[in-house]
Amino acid sequence: MRRADGHADEIEFLYRQHGPALLLFAQAVTGERGRAQDAVHQVFLKLIEKGSLSKVVDKKAYLFACVRNAALNEGKLRARDAPLDPDSAWFSPPDRDYAGEQNLRHALGALPNDQRQVMVLHVWGELTFSQISDLLNLSSNTVASRYRYALAKLRDSMFAKENYCANS
Amino acid sequence: MPTLSDERFEAYLKQFRPLDPEPLPAAEPSIRARRTFVLRTWATAGAAILVLALIMGALTLQIRTPRTRIGETIGNVGNPEHIQDGQPLTMRSANALMAKSPSFKAMVDDMAFRSKAVPLPKGKRSAVAVLGEEKIKL
Repeated sequence: MRRADGHADEIEFLYRQHGPALLLFAQAVTGERGRAQDAVHQVFLKLIEKGSLSKVVDKKAYLFACVRNAALNEGKLRARDAPLDPDSAWFSPPDRDYAGEQNLRHALGALPNDQRQVMVLHVWGELTFSQISDLLNLSSNTVASRYRYALAKLRDSMFAKENYCANS
Repeated sequence: MPTLSDERFEAYLKQFRPLDPEPLPAAEPSIRARRTFVLRTWATAGAAILVLALIMGALTLQIRTPRTRIGETIGNVGNPEHIQDGQPLTMRSANALMAKSPSFKAMVDDMAFRSKAVPLPKGKRSAVAVLGEEKIKL
């Protein structure tokens, strides 16, 4: 009983610690907050029910992999490459910069899916390129290259919009 | 806004914190389960009390019914000038009372039910008294 409680506590701690980044990643994969939330819940409920993380070396990377699988499995049941939900917020913006949040969300949404996943995993998931390459089954060079492209596109997209808004 | 270096742009992006997910639904069922358990306990206790009350009522009726029938038989055989205690009201006894009573009010007063404890034979106890002494655990 005590062991089960400890296990549940560990899962709850991981949920609090990585939940936001996992949800964001699931959103980047599925494009929809509801489906993303379902995928994250599905993973953690399975872990609470019967899973054991004691043998897992890299728990954070493992959780991202589980969420990705759950989101993709969920996606297979529905239409693939569904458009991103443009209305629901993804981030809590600094200094109530809601325009910036919307700008970032749209710029992320405009990225190709594979680049968006790498971007989210590295910036907000705080995974290394090596961890991401294991997770996505890609070489580290491919991951690094996707990240560089994504970062450049994101910056161009966000600042181009801001400059456009400032000039108009 | 000037173009930022990769590091500064990353730092800028990290200022946007991903939203918290909704709480795990596993926490809700535990509260629900606790509430359900309490409700079930109360419902079971209530049902047990109700069943006990029904059993007691049935036993009481069972004890009274034969005595009433005997009283009815004796009363109907004899002269029904007035209603005996413990004797049920019949059309015959009511008619007899109406004929004999000086007023309607007096007749109604005579018809009124008066409870009387029937003395039990020596060495016998009523079932209600026996049940009342038993310690029943719910």
